[in-house]
Amino acid sequence: MALAASFLGAFVVAKRMALVGDVLSHVALPGIGLALVFGYDPIYGAAAFLLLAAFGTWFIERKTELPPEAIIGTFFTATLALGVILVPNEELFESLFGNLFAIKPQDAAIIMAVSFIIFILTIMLSRRLTIGIVAPDLAKSAGFKPDLSYLGFLLLFALSVALGIKLIGSVLMGALTILPAVSARNFSWSLKSFLSFSVILGLIMTGAGIFISNYFNFPPGPTVILTGIIFFVISLLFKK
Amino acid sequence: MAEPILKVKDVSVSFDNQEVLKDISFSVNEGDVLAIVGPNGAGKSVLFRVLMDFIPYDGEIKWRNDVKIGYVPQKFFEKSELPLTVREFFVLKSKNLFFKDKKFSDSVSHELKSVGLDPEILDKQLAHLSKGQSQRALIAWAILGHPNVLLFDEPTAGIDLAGEDTIYNLLHKMKDERGLTVLIISHDLNVVYRYADSVLCINKERICFGPPKRELTGENIKQLYGESAFYQHGH
Repeated sequence: MALAASFLGAFVVAKRMALVGDVLSHVALPGIGLALVFGYDPIYGAAAFLLLAAFGTWFIERKTELPPEAIIGTFFTATLALGVILVPNEELFESLFGNLFAIKPQDAAIIMAVSFIIFILTIMLSRRLTIGIVAPDLAKSAGFKPDLSYLGFLLLFALSVALGIKLIGSVLMGALTILPAVSARNFSWSLKSFLSFSVILGLIMTGAGIFISNYFNFPPGPTVILTGIIFFVISLLFKK
Repeated sequence: MAEPILKVKDVSVSFDNQEVLKDISFSVNEGDVLAIVGPNGAGKSVLFRVLMDFIPYDGEIKWRNDVKIGYVPQKFFEKSELPLTVREFFVLKSKNLFFKDKKFSDSVSHELKSVGLDPEILDKQLAHLSKGQSQRALIAWAILGHPNVLLFDEPTAGIDLAGEDTIYNLLHKMKDERGLTVLIISHDLNVVYRYADSVLCINKERICFGPPKRELTGENIKQLYGESAFYQHGH
């Protein structure tokens, strides 16, 4: 899971849409609420809402040329409010902050498999995505379709947020995506090193966070994020 | 006479009901250098975008069937969030996804040499290149894969005169050696005199089109840049 999220995160940071992930993750809440109301597994509701939101963002951005942050900020923050109303109180805390230790084994297997698929798809997309980010016009002139790779990226991102909700919750999922990438950016010298460090840091941060939370009996989600922050502070020392 | 490689007829572009280009017509013959001149905001870069079919337009644009376009944008990698190296930048153009492609990297070094860059530059970060170097790298990127048409959007400022001079020599050399057809947006009328076979002056609409010596008259230039135009003849 951390693998997929931190890899995608590198591109999220590169495309200057760090806050998007944050807000996008709140979009999941009404989905969770509705799924609970109708008796489905909340993860499906979350995934449906997120994919819809990703597609909506892409569409509105194409139509209006507003930056993604503005679009998502404007249209989807309201979903947080809606979500809080829809999600029953006892489920709300778990939706917001996740609970790693409450996951059933078969769910964990599915999450891992899907994460791995997301990771592979992102690798396949990464070259097109990169050229689309650094120089959309050049990408088009060379016959690539930056619009489509961006849509693919948003959908993968939405999916990874949906998966992360059970683990770490919708509030902190954004941080899981961004933290490894911003830390890696501070000391990487090439695209390859940036992407690799993002993934490695994501894995270490998650692993260490879970270990610490287990040991001290802290909630896992917040512990993982705080571990990430420590890595980020360390990475600042490397910044020339 | 041979069929022109590009024919443009009555092309107009509007953004939000504001006309940016109006009824532009011209044609380009194979192997020619066409210079496009005009004041800031005249729609020169928009014309390039139209020619590459990036934005919608009215009118007719007809490229010959076998054209392959290489594009050199005006500016690039000023501040990139991605720490891309020159090598990685070139690899992005490869359609080969996972594996190292010997043939591809050979042609990359070949093109780098032909624009006068040392292959050592491959390991540098794009953001650390000088303006002249990144200009050359962009040209190398554009000609990688052997296009027969080059669209070159000249930077307004920032390259010193010596550097600028060699960029034009370079373009000229490529035209001669590879038979490239070159469309160049230029800000320097001296360059236009020296290198272009024909010139297209636009300020939203077409003001002149033809051989530079005939078309770049004092009157046309005054109409193009306004009364205050500072104009120097190169000869």
